Amino acid sequence: MTTSTTNAAVARTLAILRKELLDTLRDRRTGMVTLLSAICAGPIFLLLIFNLIASQAERARDLKLPVVGAVYAPALVGYLERQQVTVTQAPADYDAQIRRGDLDVVLIVDEAFAADVAQGKPGSVRLVFDRSRDRARPSIEQAESLLRGYNRLWGEQRLMLRGVASTVANPLRIDTSDLATPQQSGALVLFLVAYYGLFASVMGGMAVALDTTAGERERQSLEPLLMTPARPGEIVAGKWLAVSAFNALVVLLTLTGFYLTLKFAPLPPVGVPFLFGMREVFRFAIVLVPMVLMLPAILLYVGSRARAYKEAQANVSVLLFVVSLIPVVQLFMQRREPGWLMFVPVSAQYSLLNTSLRGEAPSLAQLASSWLAPAALIAIALIAVTRRLSRESILSGK
Amino acid sequence: MIEVDALQKSFGKAREIEAVRAVTFDAPDGAITGLLGPNGAGKTTLLRMIATLVLPDAGRARVGGLDVVADRYAVRSRIGVLSDARGLYQRLTARENVRYFGRLHGLAGAALDARIDALFATLGLTPLAERRTAGFSQGEKMKVAIARALVHDPDTILLDEPTNGLDIMSVRTLRDELRALRGQGKCLLFSSHVMQEVAALCDRIVVLAHGRVVAAGTAEQLIERAGTAGLEDAFVQLIGSDEGLAA
Repeated sequence: MTTSTTNAAVARTLAILRKELLDTLRDRRTGMVTLLSAICAGPIFLLLIFNLIASQAERARDLKLPVVGAVYAPALVGYLERQQVTVTQAPADYDAQIRRGDLDVVLIVDEAFAADVAQGKPGSVRLVFDRSRDRARPSIEQAESLLRGYNRLWGEQRLMLRGVASTVANPLRIDTSDLATPQQSGALVLFLVAYYGLFASVMGGMAVALDTTAGERERQSLEPLLMTPARPGEIVAGKWLAVSAFNALVVLLTLTGFYLTLKFAPLPPVGVPFLFGMREVFRFAIVLVPMVLMLPAILLYVGSRARAYKEAQANVSVLLFVVSLIPVVQLFMQRREPGWLMFVPVSAQYSLLNTSLRGEAPSLAQLASSWLAPAALIAIALIAVTRRLSRESILSGK
Repeated sequence: MIEVDALQKSFGKAREIEAVRAVTFDAPDGAITGLLGPNGAGKTTLLRMIATLVLPDAGRARVGGLDVVADRYAVRSRIGVLSDARGLYQRLTARENVRYFGRLHGLAGAALDARIDALFATLGLTPLAERRTAGFSQGEKMKVAIARALVHDPDTILLDEPTNGLDIMSVRTLRDELRALRGQGKCLLFSSHVMQEVAALCDRIVVLAHGRVVAAGTAEQLIERAGTAGLEDAFVQLIGSDEGLAA
């Protein structure tokens, strides 16, 4: 190929890129939806999650415990009150209220408590709760732990009265040391941030990619385009670059949204000193590059197979389903991640995003392996779209 | 100058649908040649082969001396095509739509803008130039599509059923524009199934039926050959039935 024909090819590719970007930026509806979901939804998620964690911590700290039969065990009630628990008289329909979620946990003291204790038998108390309610869990755990504490205290006092050291009854001392760095706690928040970053790279280019392929065909502007000297390969390259550029913009805005929210938003202090600084934004961006380039190529292919935008949207939902499911599967995969995961697109990126969030840098080798499959898929998808555009059947309704 | 020589094209899995069978005709410069035939006669396939979008199974076609298969991209630079597919980019202005195609044809900068200005002035599009095409009427859209097809000043212009869906005023504008192009010495090939339209506009008529050329010549020659009183009867006689001829 001579220089002048190469220059002409590059000029045509750039003309297509330029037109597609202009067309996309003019599309206010798609633009608003994409940008809103990118910039706002992530931070809103974060705010909700942080508030949930904060309110749970608060519930455990300021435990309100309705008690049935408080009069039968005044010493226990006194102990609870010394531990800052607000003891109230339980309502008659407490079990219904627990089922509805109005009450977290209720303590029932047996009528025979005092009599049993006097005879040397264990006094019985009962905790009523619904453990399936996530919101109630901190209160339940706090109530259980307080009762265990009271039990141990009482037992130790009895042993002391008999001249026995309390260690006799507690031969095992359990110490724990949690190796999670502060960043590693709050796994749910970690998951959401990584998931959302990944998702931005899928959603960012979707509307544009389908509009520029299936939409172009539906609006009957594809045939005139194919009649110009622009080769199918140039058309595909220009469109791919345009969709990728827009996708990259959406991903960067999403990451910026996270960064600004975590840095400046009045998030409640939840004891998760969560790290998402400029360094993490940068690592995220590096890890997501293969996604930012691969998904537009695949979406262009899906779009080019459809006659109309709506049809393409239906086809793309399968792709979305797979991409959004992979991280969820990984979240529930409790075993250590196998090495080959680095070669699986989406999986590798999700895993590397988590690495970045834990404050570690993804290694060059990991990044390189995470690139292989996407690079191959990009090539295959772009060649397939080019071949479709070269086929005569693209002109007919089929 | 368009030279079509025994052009052939079939579709279907076993190539069982013969759309164009050994079609031969010429369309000279400085004239409007009409391709008249009922629906399904093979007009669109024939035009698409000349426009290099569809590869012929056999035979050859040349545009300005260039082969439509071997020199397909050179041919594309020489032809302007106005087809049934007249979709515009609705979020772009009229000027941006035409400019995009100008760039794809290798034009750029001030020369391109001057060319667009001249085209828009001829077509009466100047007041609409900077408006987005979303709200354009059918006639206005057609004018933008014409400007788009002519932006690179092609010698040869192919029009496939260009009046489909247009109102009378738009059809008149189109006719005037085509006559003006003929005056500039361009070669125009115009397909239609509407007899009156072809009769009103074309210097030469090629009658196509079932993928074959059944007659060619001026309107007078066709009447003479068919031995009928008027043009309409001549067409029916030549095609063998009046099926698919209605407007």
